[in-house]
Amino acid sequence: MDHFFLMIWHALLVALFFSFLWRTARRERIHLFLKTFLIMVVGGVLAGWLMYPFP
Amino acid sequence: MTKKSQKNNEDPSTQPDNPVPLPLLGAAWLIPGLGHLILGKRICAAVFFGVITAGFVTGVLLEGEVGVPMAENPFSWLSTLACAGNGVLYIFRLIWLNGLGPLLSNIPLGLDGGGDPVAAGFGYGKTFLITAGLMNLLAVLDVSDIARGAKN
Repeated sequence: MDHFFLMIWHALLVALFFSFLWRTARRERIHLFLKTFLIMVVGGVLAGWLMYPFP
Repeated sequence: MTKKSQKNNEDPSTQPDNPVPLPLLGAAWLIPGLGHLILGKRICAAVFFGVITAGFVTGVLLEGEVGVPMAENPFSWLSTLACAGNGVLYIFRLIWLNGLGPLLSNIPLGLDGGGDPVAAGFGYGKTFLITAGLMNLLAVLDVSDIARGAKN
């Protein structure tokens, strides 16, 4: 499996879980889901690029 | 009644805690989402069951190793605790790998956690298995909070 796909799949599951665990209103759940999902995916890619010069 | 005393009555931290039935927590741990289903939170129950089961199955398909205690590695107890959070999924996986007889005779040490350390997905698989277990443990704590009346 593609590593990027696995990262997205993991972020999707975790973001979905916490949006339902921590929020009750539908709108708040969508907001938290998008926020946590994007932080994990974009943060992961960004961390990967920052580590790129290092051996 | 003064405003201050009214405020204290509304504050959940000042309310007496309801006792949490242990069978409820056991059911919530054993089958992901069952605790929320018993408490009438059907959507949460369905989501938690789906997410935790999907995470566990992904971990197994990626050749990840479920945590089993090892005498020479004290940290293995932590991964065992996290993976055991998956409840019946963890138990079924151990039975699948070890068989019921050897499983019971080899507890706690000497169990096979499965997985292939050479497989490309070994580390990812273990991450999925541990994450799924920890999410279920958080769901159990959530069930406890709801049953105590500390959360709606």
